[in-house]
This record gives sequence, C-alpha cells and structure tokens, in this order.
Amino acid sequence: MIDQSRNEAAALAGDLPGVLLEARRLAAAAPGLHGRRRAGEGEAFWQYRDHRSEDGARLVDWRRSARGERLYVREREREAAQNAAFWLDPHPGFDWRSDEKLPTKRRRALVLSLALATLFARGGERVSALGAPTRAGPRAVDQAALDLVAQRSPAPEAPRTRACLILASDFYEPLDIWRARLARLSAAGANGACVMICDPAEEDFPYSGRTLFHEISGRNEIVLGRAEHAREAFAERLAAHRRGMREMARALGFLLVTHRTDHPPAPVFALLAAALSERGL
Amino acid sequence: MTWGPITFGAPLALWALASLPVLFLILRATPPAPQRRVFPPLRLLLGLQTDEQSRERAPLWLVLLRALMCALAIIGFARPSLTPEAAAEAQTRGGRTLIVIDDGWTSAPFWAQARAAALDAVAEAERGGGQIFVLHTAPARIPRDAGEAFTPGEARGHFNALEPQPWRVDRAAAAGRIQSVPGRFDRILWIANGLDDEGAQALASALTAKGAVTARMPARTARAVVGASVGADGVTAELRRAQTSSDVGAVTAETAEGRSLGAAEFRFTGESAIARIDLPPEIAARTARVRIVGEDSAGAVRLMPGGAARPTVGLVDPGGQGQPLLSDLFYVDRALSPYASLRRGDVGDLVRRRVQAMVLADASRIAPADRDALTRWIERGGVLIRFAGPRLANDADDLLPVRLRPGSRTIGGALAWERPQHVRPFAANSPFAGLAIPEDVAVRRQVLAEPSAETESRVWARLEDGAPVVTAQAQGRGLIVLYHVTAGPAWSDLPLSGLYVEMLRRTIAFAGRGGESEERPDASGPYVATRLMDGFGALSPADADAAAIDAEAFASARAGPAAPPGFYERAGIAATLDAAGADERLAPLALPSSIARAGLEGARVRPLSGLFLGAAAALLALDLLLSLWLAGRMPRLARAGGAALAIIAALILAPPAFAQDDPTLQLHLAYVRTGDAATDRIARDGLEALTETLRSRTTVEPEAPIGVDLARDDLSVYPFIYWPAPPAPRPLSNEAVANLDRYLRLGGMVLVDTRDAGRRAAGNRGPAAIMLAGLDAPPLEPIDADHVLARSFYLLRAFPGRASAPRLWGESAGAASARDGVASLFVGDGDWAAAWASEGGSGLSGGPRQRELSLRFGVNLVMVALTGNYKEDQVHVPALLERLGRERR
Repeated sequence: MIDQSRNEAAALAGDLPGVLLEARRLAAAAPGLHGRRRAGEGEAFWQYRDHRSEDGARLVDWRRSARGERLYVREREREAAQNAAFWLDPHPGFDWRSDEKLPTKRRRALVLSLALATLFARGGERVSALGAPTRAGPRAVDQAALDLVAQRSPAPEAPRTRACLILASDFYEPLDIWRARLARLSAAGANGACVMICDPAEEDFPYSGRTLFHEISGRNEIVLGRAEHAREAFAERLAAHRRGMREMARALGFLLVTHRTDHPPAPVFALLAAALSERGL
Repeated sequence: MTWGPITFGAPLALWALASLPVLFLILRATPPAPQRRVFPPLRLLLGLQTDEQSRERAPLWLVLLRALMCALAIIGFARPSLTPEAAAEAQTRGGRTLIVIDDGWTSAPFWAQARAAALDAVAEAERGGGQIFVLHTAPARIPRDAGEAFTPGEARGHFNALEPQPWRVDRAAAAGRIQSVPGRFDRILWIANGLDDEGAQALASALTAKGAVTARMPARTARAVVGASVGADGVTAELRRAQTSSDVGAVTAETAEGRSLGAAEFRFTGESAIARIDLPPEIAARTARVRIVGEDSAGAVRLMPGGAARPTVGLVDPGGQGQPLLSDLFYVDRALSPYASLRRGDVGDLVRRRVQAMVLADASRIAPADRDALTRWIERGGVLIRFAGPRLANDADDLLPVRLRPGSRTIGGALAWERPQHVRPFAANSPFAGLAIPEDVAVRRQVLAEPSAETESRVWARLEDGAPVVTAQAQGRGLIVLYHVTAGPAWSDLPLSGLYVEMLRRTIAFAGRGGESEERPDASGPYVATRLMDGFGALSPADADAAAIDAEAFASARAGPAAPPGFYERAGIAATLDAAGADERLAPLALPSSIARAGLEGARVRPLSGLFLGAAAALLALDLLLSLWLAGRMPRLARAGGAALAIIAALILAPPAFAQDDPTLQLHLAYVRTGDAATDRIARDGLEALTETLRSRTTVEPEAPIGVDLARDDLSVYPFIYWPAPPAPRPLSNEAVANLDRYLRLGGMVLVDTRDAGRRAAGNRGPAAIMLAGLDAPPLEPIDADHVLARSFYLLRAFPGRASAPRLWGESAGAASARDGVASLFVGDGDWAAAWASEGGSGLSGGPRQRELSLRFGVNLVMVALTGNYKEDQVHVPALLERLGRERR
C-alpha cells in the first residue's frame, strides 16, 4: 500500500512540472491582487501623512518634507502574512477519469490548488500542504507542490495555526462524515473553501444497457439491468447530496464551489481567488 | 439418407440435433455478461433499481434465435442437397451404373451439357455407392474396355478430360463391345446425340438387354456443312440437318488464319439448305474453311484446300545476273511476294515442284521436254502467266491465249502520229472489273493479237483504242494469261503502278482454284496430315506421328480414327478430309419405347449446405448485434458504423480525382466560352498561338488553353482569363458576376476584349458595359507606355492587336493598391486573339510585324499576370538615375 501510494506520488510528481506550469499560467491570468489597503508593517509605500507631535523626529520623511513647508511622515502598507493550507482527497476514486481525453479529478484539483498557491505566494502569504510546515517566499509553491503530491492524510486534520483551508475532493462520502470533518476544522478556527470536483460522467451518467458499476477499490458493486433508466434517479440523488453539502459547508464557514473536469479551470479559479481574497487572503 | 427431395450426405451429423434441448437450457440459464464500469459515486447508486433490475436469464427470444442458429449449422454440416429426380428414381444402394456417351462430333455443340449429365450420373452413382462403367460409342484407335469399372473419382476425372471425337459414332461396334461385358447393370444412362445411324437399334436392344435404360437427348441436334465451293460470285455452302435441329443460322467463310471474309444467313425448309456468301472472286479464293456460326463441331466446318495457303508461284528464271532494276522478274517479284510464295527456277524444275502458277517473262523458246511438262501442268490446273517482250514479238510459240501478229506495235514516239495509249476501264465480266486505273499509266509498245471472234472473248483488258492488252485462255483445268507488255517498265508504265500488283493478284487468284485436290497420276507417296481438326472443329498442327493415308484410299476415305479430318498434303499439294461427308445423313434418333427419355438440360443436384451454413452465419451476425445491443454498446457502434459507412460511400462515390485533367497541376491560359462558336474558336486558336510563343520564348510553359464557363467553373486556378466579346454580348448571370468578382478579388487577371476597334461610335453603350454590368468593376485608366505592361518582358510602345492602335484601359494603380498596384482588369478593343491566331499576320494591316507585336503584348500580359509589378521598378529607373547623377554633381 505504501509502495503503491509512493508509486502514485511518483507518477504524479513526474508530471509536476506540467502541473506547475499549468498552475502558473492559470495564476498569471488572474487579476492582480492588492495589498491590505491599511497602514502597517510592510515594505510597500502606503501614503504620506502630516507629522503629528507624537510621532517624534525620527519618523519625519525629510526628503518629502523638504519640498514643502510641512512635515510629512511616510507610512508603509500593512503586511500581515496569512497561512493558506491545501488538502487533496487521497481517495482512489478521486484519481479517476471517465475518458482518456480528460484530466483526473485529482490532477485538476492539484492544478487549481497550486494556481491558488502561486497567487497567494505572490501576495506574500504563506502557503503549504495541510499538515506540512508553512513557508513563504518564491520557493514556497514548489515545496507545497511536493508536499501536496506526497500528502496522504485520508481526512483533513485541523491545522496547528490559524489558516485558510482549501479542500479539494469529490465529496462523495456521506454528509455525516463530512459534517464531522468540517466541524472539527471549524472548531479549530479554520475556514476556507471546498472545491467539489467531479467528472462529467459522474454528473451526466452516460451509461446504458446492462452494466455492473464498481468502485476502484472494488469493494462495492451494483448491477443495473438498464442503466439508462437509472439516470434520473441518480441525478436527483446527486443534486440532493450537493445541496446538503453546500448548506452544511456554508453553515460551518466554508465556501463550496463545484467544478467539472471537462470545463476550463479558469472561471472557477477566478471565483476562488476573488472569494478567498475577500476573506482576508 | 434421403428425406423427400433432400438428400443428406452426412446424415450422422443430424444426431447433434438431439443436443439442442440441453443447449437450450444452458443458453437460457446464462445471461449476457454485463459491461463493467468504474463509478466513484457508487454510493449514490446503491439501492437503486431499474425496471429490469437483474436479468438472470437470457430472454426467450434470444435463446430461441441461438437454438435455431445451431440447428441450421447442424443441418448444414449434414450436407443436404436437393435432388428432385433422385427422389423420383428408385434409390438402390450399391449396384453397377453404366454410362453410355455418344462422343462423336454430333455431340460437340452441346458437349458442356453432355459432360454435366455424365458428371451428374457419376455423382448419383457415388451417393448410391457402386461401380461405374463407361461406354463410348465413337470409334477410337484403341477402344476402351467397357468392362473396366471406375471409382467415382476416376469417372469424374475421365469425363472432365473427355472431348468429342471429330468423327461420327459407331453404335454397332459399341453394341458389340457392351454385349461382351458380363452381367446386368442396375442403372444405364445413355447420353445420346439425338441422331440416328445404322447401329442405333442394335445398341438400343443391346442396352435394354442389360438393364433399365434412360436416354438423355439434347433439345437441338447437330447440323453439318456437307459441301462448299468457290464460284464466280462467292462461296456456296451446302448444309444438312435433322428435323430436330434449329432451322436458321449463318455460315461464315474464313481464311486459314481465322479471319472472317464474309457471312450469309440460311434457313432450312427441309433437311438441306444452301447458303451463298457473296464475295469477289479473288477474296473468295482465299477461303480456307466455311463453318456454321455458333456451332462448334467438326461437322459444322468445311475445309477448302484452295485457301489453305498462299498460292505457290514459280518465276521462270533464265539465269544470269542482270541489273536488277532492268530485270523483268524484279517487278513481278516485288508485286507478288506479299501475296504468294515465290520460287525461281527453270520450267522443268518448277513443274516438278508443283507450283500453282508460273510467270514466264518474254521467253522465246521453251525446250521441247519442258514444253510437254508445261502443257501437262497447265492441263492439270496450272496458271501460266506470260509477259510479252522483244523475243516474243519476234517469234511467238503456241502456249498463248491468242495468236499474235509478228512484230510489235509502237504507240507514240517521234515518227508516229499516235500518242501512248491508256488502259480502258475494265469490262464488267473481266476479272479485273472494279480496279481503278491510274491516269498516268500509258502503254508505249505492245504485241498485237490477230483479230478474231475468239480473241474477243478472251480479252481481260484493252487499251483505249480497243487493242487487247491482257488476254487469257483456259486450257484443260488450267489457264494461260498473256500480258501484251513487258513485265518491266520497258514498254509501259504499268509495272510502276499499283494497278499492276492488283492485276497480278487477281490473276494468281485463279491458281489453286482448279481441282488440285484431285489425285494425280504421277504423284507419289501417301497423304500426310498437316493440320487436324478436333471434335469442336478447331484446327491444330498435326503430330509428327499422325496417320498417313494412301493416295488410293484418300479419295474414298471417311473421317475416323484412321483418317482424322483436317488438312493433308501430298507432294506439296494441299488436300482436305472433312468430318461430314458429302452424303452425310442426319436423322432424328428413334428409340424403342422400353427406353426412358429425358432432356439434357437441368436435373442437377443442388447442394444446400452452403444455404444452411450461410443462414446460420447470418444469424450469428444478428446475434452479435443483438448482444451488443443488450449490453448497451450499440449506440457507439452505430455511430462508428455510420461513420464507416459514410467513409465507404464517400470512397465509392468520390470521383477519381486524378482521372480528370486537373488544371491545378499545370498552368493553363483560359478564355471565356461566350457561346458563339466563331468567337470561341478564335479565342482558343489565339491562346494556343500565345501558349506556343510563351513556351518557345519564355520559361512560362503553359499547357493547352482551356475554355471556362464564368458561372460554373472554379476560376481561381487560372492566372489569366481572356474574355472576348461575342457579336451579341449579354449581361452575366448573378452566379457568373459573383464568381468573377471573387476571382478579381483573389488577384486573378481578366482581359476583356470588345474586339470593335474603330467601329463603335463614342458615347454608345458598348459591349464592355454590357459584359461587365453588375460586376464590382474597379475604376480604369488608360494604359500607356509607362505602365508595367509595356516592360514586363518586351519593351513595348503600343499594344497592337488586329487593330494596329487599339485603346487599352486597365485598373488604376490607386484602385489596385490592395494588390500592390497590380491591375486585375484590363479592357480593350484590340481583338488580340484574332491577331495571335492569324497565320503569319495575314489579314492584319501591319502584316507579320503587327502579329509579332501583338504576341509580345500577349507575353507581357501573361508576365504581368504571373509576376505582378516585378518589373515596375523599371519605371522608376530614369528618376533614380537622374537623382544619382545630381548627387554626384
């Protein structure tokens, strides 16, 4: 099992440059992020303001003040680094695709996660795979990518520090399980986004005829005599599951977005980037 | 095993049918395997049920289908066959089968049916399992032992190799042979030819004594050509038949090489008929055989000895090598060598070598010994062709058709009043009738016949003044022909003309026509076969060991194993032996009522295995499709199948692209087909001349010009289109306007030629206005010597066409700026195509020089079309030079 997961990690890591490239391209297309828009500790110039008596002489910006008759103080923009932690569902059903032409759900999740990580790292935040030490700076994304590929935790564990979590999964496990997991995270002070990625076949159910459906692990299976007749019932169940998932996530402070692997990743990425930066990232 | 009309070859295989119920149960219990799919959100499916939730059993109809498929396959492997007659006939296992077959030429016309009947009988005997005996009724050199039994395989090989003999059957002898075979037969099949002969009753009674006989006879019996002769008006064939044969048909006369000379239809009223094939005598003489069309049998062919080969003509050569062009025999040799085998020698030698005709050119004295031999040779049918000459004129002998006056007559010449005489058109009864007489053939000198009543009847050709120039006289069966001029051109122009050849050909056509096949008292040795006929009437070279027939026996010989029909030769003389004698008797076969009769046609065993196995295979294919459908894989298959079908249909329906002349592979100049034939022709001729000029002077090498239809053709492949105005121009259709617009926008070039230089009154609505109506025509400007058109290849000052100084307008450079200033539309009135097409400038006011200039204009035009403004820079050269000069100062 360990060997297998290592092999899978190696296979995915072999494609890591491609994934990183895709993620950077995605991030490059995103609208530029701005800073905190508040004066604070930081390096970027924020504004000049009039010198006040309590400031003392040391804070006077003499170069600016020499041009006029008033004294100015240079303020810098506040820069407070946030932690962004990513988690990918290691479930084998997540690393699956219905068609050779499509990426697997896990790969698409990796691309989205790393694109967000790139974007955040560019904004000066600290990014990491959930459970791995956080880092800042330009190498943080590469490290996060390696950690993400190696990440094998079956459920997202609560981060040690306050962090924004980005959870990517197909969320097909029962609602109760997810409620428990999200509640634990929420209790630890984490919030963030759930990216629900699905394969088109899982939504459209394009099967017909006598079909035996089984999981990749092969534990469960079901035979349908006329699969096409199960399409509507399945669609209803799927919709109900998603509805429940969405309401539960909102209640626990998580944003839930859905994405199909046959759709381009840019819109959902833009949505995530905008939503997360509003939440303080 | 037989079940009704169906016979099973391997009935044991039918036991497998007993296993069908077990198979049925197994199939019923085995549901079709489902397709397996990975589905991660399986949890959402759990507990879901479809209306046909679990198909544990295959549907009944599918099981029935598969059981039917198996049943069909089992029946197919049992080798069933449909034999309607076998059911009717008594089926006895084992036993002896006798197959009697008439294998003379009278069976050849329907031999395929006869062979099939024999093979059917073999197959039937094989199913019954037993011995097969075969009796041939045609005589053979070594008759087969009728008591020798065949296995079915041997019998099949025997009949497949059996061919009809080129003689008739001898049933009396066959009856004797079968009587010597002991024992009775269980089945006797007589494949008869339907014709009676003296032994038929004997054979019938001999066969009925041996067992139950079934006779199978053809619907139409054979016919024969029993005589043929070559007459003055063609070939006459005598035909005979029995009442049971067809009463209409056609005969054809053929050469030895098999070329048909002529044909005629015939219709029997009684038992014989006459057919006449109208042919000129010299062509009829080449007939080597006469045969009935469409009836391949030796009896339907009559061989003709006369046409068997080219006549052998001897040239009496006095010896001594003179100058060849002055030798008389040289001309005879050249005239006759294509049509006859020529031999040279003295008279005695040639007579001994049995030439059929002899040419004697101005020999005066014939040695007495030779003379007697020559006379006898003529009496037997030899054709002596003599030519006059100085020696004959001096001293005539009596081997001549007419008596000659001593001396010769000189016509024309310095001291004579008369002019050289021409040959008078041949009389209708002359063998030369119909030959065309060249006007330049004149006779300057000849020997003269003594006028007499006899002489008149012997004349074949006369001069214009009535003097005989060719006379002939039959002597015995032979013929003496005298040409009253020399064989060489000394006395007349005749030997230099084609008429000479034709006259000699017609003369030697008489050779070999006399009864050469009659035996000769002084001939020696037997007749040796050269080419022999097979039963179908086809000739093939005789084997070296072919039978020789004694001369005495030959005349009375009848075709048989000892005397196979064909061409024979004896001492160089061809003779023939025919399969059907002159007294051939053909009568319907009358059989005693104890013999059952059947036709030759039909009654074939039809094997059904293929049918059953094919049906099983078709069901298998259907089952495959149904299984796919049940498994839910059909939709994709249907799509793929549809695509495959579409591809196949496209491949089948797509026109063979390379079979057509693809204009994109080669450069072609094009002109617009205006619908006016004269205009189109001038345009095509003009462009052809321009193409020729381009090919010879430039590296532009266009192929032949092409006429285009503006409305329909794809113009984009032509760089240059010439559009002449027809006498009555009409506006273009909408499609044509759109097409032409597109072409001009793409960068094509059109020269519109109104062809009316100097004719049109100014201000009138001219042809160009009509032709270009509706077109998105660009603004035009007059073209002068500064335009690139004036320097793209040749340096021109004007652009003459048929008119010496036409007006020429082109698209203005400003309007053409999108194409870098290259004009796409030129309009002029020069009628250039007419100038290009004119022969050496005829009809042009400026003569050849004007045509040359117009061609130069054409070359420049094509260059502009191909290279655009490549030479435009030249326009600026003076300015550049001037500027350079200024700077230097």
